[in-house]
Amino acid sequence: MIAPQDIFPAIGPWVSALDETFPGAQIKPYFAQWEVLHILSLALLGGASILLNLRLIGSGLTDESPSEVRRGVLPWLNLGVIGVVLTGILIGTSNPERLYTSEAFTAKMLGLAAGLILTYGVALPAAKRDGRLGAGSGIAAAIGLGIFGLCIGVFAVAKLVNPGLWHVIIAAALIVLFVTRGLTRIVYLAGLLALVATQLALHQVIWKPDDYAHLDPANKVLILVYLAWILAAAALQIVSSGRTQNGGGPAVKALAYAAILVWVATAAAGRWIAFA
Amino acid sequence: MIRDFLVWLATQVGKGPGEYDPSWSEGLASTLNVWGLLEGTHVLSLMLFAGTIFLVDFRLLGWGFKKTPVSVISDRVLPLTVFGFVLMVTTGVLLFYAKPLLYYHNLWFRLKLVFLAVAAINIFVFHFRVQNDRDAWDTAEKPPAKARLSATVSILSWILVITFGRFIAYDWFECGKPLPHWANVAQECAVSERGAIDLTEMTK
Repeated sequence: MIAPQDIFPAIGPWVSALDETFPGAQIKPYFAQWEVLHILSLALLGGASILLNLRLIGSGLTDESPSEVRRGVLPWLNLGVIGVVLTGILIGTSNPERLYTSEAFTAKMLGLAAGLILTYGVALPAAKRDGRLGAGSGIAAAIGLGIFGLCIGVFAVAKLVNPGLWHVIIAAALIVLFVTRGLTRIVYLAGLLALVATQLALHQVIWKPDDYAHLDPANKVLILVYLAWILAAAALQIVSSGRTQNGGGPAVKALAYAAILVWVATAAAGRWIAFA
Repeated sequence: MIRDFLVWLATQVGKGPGEYDPSWSEGLASTLNVWGLLEGTHVLSLMLFAGTIFLVDFRLLGWGFKKTPVSVISDRVLPLTVFGFVLMVTTGVLLFYAKPLLYYHNLWFRLKLVFLAVAAINIFVFHFRVQNDRDAWDTAEKPPAKARLSATVSILSWILVITFGRFIAYDWFECGKPLPHWANVAQECAVSERGAIDLTEMTK
């Protein structure tokens, strides 16, 4: 009951007619080409967002101040966001029924809203102030994180879509692996590999791959263990790195992690619209 | 010869003793979620790989990070790009392994490989030729023409790799459909399971 058709049932007839009217009817024959533009915009947005937020975490382009990194990525970030939104709307008008009935689309739209708030309301202003949160950023962060939480919640309960949450978990695991250093990184990686080995053993050795009665609850427990491990390592990195290398304080760093992951969750939900 | 190898890869490797036991390739292609996760990760890794390589190329073109030395961008950003590339190739190889014959006889997949090769050669040329005298233009807001040319080739080839990669999902030139002669030849449809139907022969 979380697809757009459940939330906005009254607009059903309007949605049904979208692909027969301008611009949906004109876009439809060139759906694949517009999809390519959507993906290219996503790549641009992703690259810019990753560099900006990694700098706030205290990694990546550390030779430059966060404000300098912001200046470098801003035009491309804007272009990526405009491209994603514009091509997304056009693709949507040419394929409206699919999106209207998709729970993954709800997660995607929530992710998009959270991504815009966390990027333009938190990450960019914090980078402009070289890692310090401004007065309005606290409110933006609270709203952005709230909507991001809602996006993850919808993603987690959406039928046939929730396996896509693994993309977010994998991305979080890899970001933490990239930013941690020394012994923390080694211990963290060892823990991750142990979890992967456990998961493989459960799926291939202890139970059969199609034994969903056992694997479903086991996977849910495993997700929680993965999350706890990743969050613990991220918290350790946030606390132990302090304000070194002119990055952000603990709150900014935590929000920078979220500002990357929210775009991953949005893109993952978008991809899983096709799979469900 | 390549096709024979792929047939063996798709149908024999990892096959159980029973007549209907699947091979590893068939098993991977028929999984409930693993294939979707691989495909999703392949697409999402573009955010890391293509996103960061575009920004490096923009610096070489003098379109961004003009005050940052090229060496700094390369040293700090390219590790992320390489990591994204490894992720993309790993998931790409597994996706190919799940349906090797489908991709082998796919025009877009073949074009994708061609431009992957172009991009790889461009990286090689940049690494061993273009940036030999990088110290001389490391801090230049607008690097020399050879660096800008390399960046342009890089951007265009990756855009084409992404474009053709996306087009693989569409059956515009699927073997077994009436196709122009050149398309049947380019995809070796005649030896595919679906065979080749020549559009010009049909319209005669």
